[in-house]
Amino acid sequence: MHGSTHRRAVRTVATAAVLLLGVGVVPTIAHAAGIGGRATGSEAVTVGTWGLTAATTSMSFTTNTAQTTTATNTGSIALSAESYVVTVSKPFFFTPTMTVYECPVAWVSGACSGGTGTQIGGTLTAGTTTTITTTTSLGVGASLYLEVVPAGVFILTTTVTLTPEVTSPAQLRAPVRTMQ
Amino acid sequence: MSTHRHTSKKERSYGKLAVAGLLTTSVALLGTAGVYAGLSATATGAEQVSSGSLNLVLSNDVGVGFSNFTGKMAPGDTDNVYVNLNNTGSLASAAGMTLGVAGNPVNALTSGSVPGEGLTVTATQCSVAWTLATGTCSGTTTPILTTTQVSGMSTPVALSNIPALVAATGQVAHVQVSLGLVATESSTNGVPPAATVQGLSTTLTYTFTELQRTGVATNQ
Repeated sequence: MHGSTHRRAVRTVATAAVLLLGVGVVPTIAHAAGIGGRATGSEAVTVGTWGLTAATTSMSFTTNTAQTTTATNTGSIALSAESYVVTVSKPFFFTPTMTVYECPVAWVSGACSGGTGTQIGGTLTAGTTTTITTTTSLGVGASLYLEVVPAGVFILTTTVTLTPEVTSPAQLRAPVRTMQ
Repeated sequence: MSTHRHTSKKERSYGKLAVAGLLTTSVALLGTAGVYAGLSATATGAEQVSSGSLNLVLSNDVGVGFSNFTGKMAPGDTDNVYVNLNNTGSLASAAGMTLGVAGNPVNALTSGSVPGEGLTVTATQCSVAWTLATGTCSGTTTPILTTTQVSGMSTPVALSNIPALVAATGQVAHVQVSLGLVATESSTNGVPPAATVQGLSTTLTYTFTELQRTGVATNQ
């Protein structure tokens, strides 16, 4: 009984000390901060995506027959230019070359609307990796039709890998300035 | 039985004596206090004081003010909003104001987790209201915040050159707040890099804060 009373007394003294300390500290902080005026506003924003996806990225050539693939803007931002990293393998004894053409519509029997399409970059030699770029604008969801045309002797298999690449901000649509 | 009754009577008489003693002591103490009260003197003075207020009000300058950017932002895009900052309190503000920007959720747009990329904020003051259609100022422009990464604004940064808000109460600053995006990254065959700002969303909260003028010591 006596012990309990003593503990209560000690607790009361400790609580009072903490309260006194708190009362002493709070005015000090308030004095240092002074009065402040504050105003807030909020704004939501979503960033788009940019990317070009090829239906086929690897082609094997054993003859001089051209092959095609389709590259589609699968991002949410329109593109002003697109690049392709093209690697041509080097078969033994032979050095074939490759040329890449683009067409705004699908190729039909190796022709682009009756023509040859537009060449992207130069002639690509076997055993090299080259980045070629076109400045064709491509809207969201739009496609570009590519044709890889081989030249030279094809006794052994030559592999071409064609990887689309889009780099921001240079290859995206022109920046937009919004006032609201 | 008889003994018990006798004892009880004795206890009651002791109780009466104790009560009587306490009453006597109380009367004696009151009398003493009365003597002391009679000897005290009081002097009074009055001083009236009113505390000032410091209110910063944000409102639209032209257009809709802070709102949502409805499109998909691309690197290099800027979204400009036009707001008024008005000191409506009765105290002048100190020579300075801060702007803090916080994103919710926090992601690569606001955290700086992709080095050199993310959202940026620029603020410019115009001496008159902005022209919304062209985003131009027909008066004098004063840059108050150069382009700053939002990732560096979770701790408020000081705005500069804002005399209209510093001078006195009732002053208005016409401020253009420009939100931009910096991102230099390549997507390969439609796939963004592992560390990217693409496809992210956040809601930014802008907090403008002004502090009261320095305290004044008056002798009168």
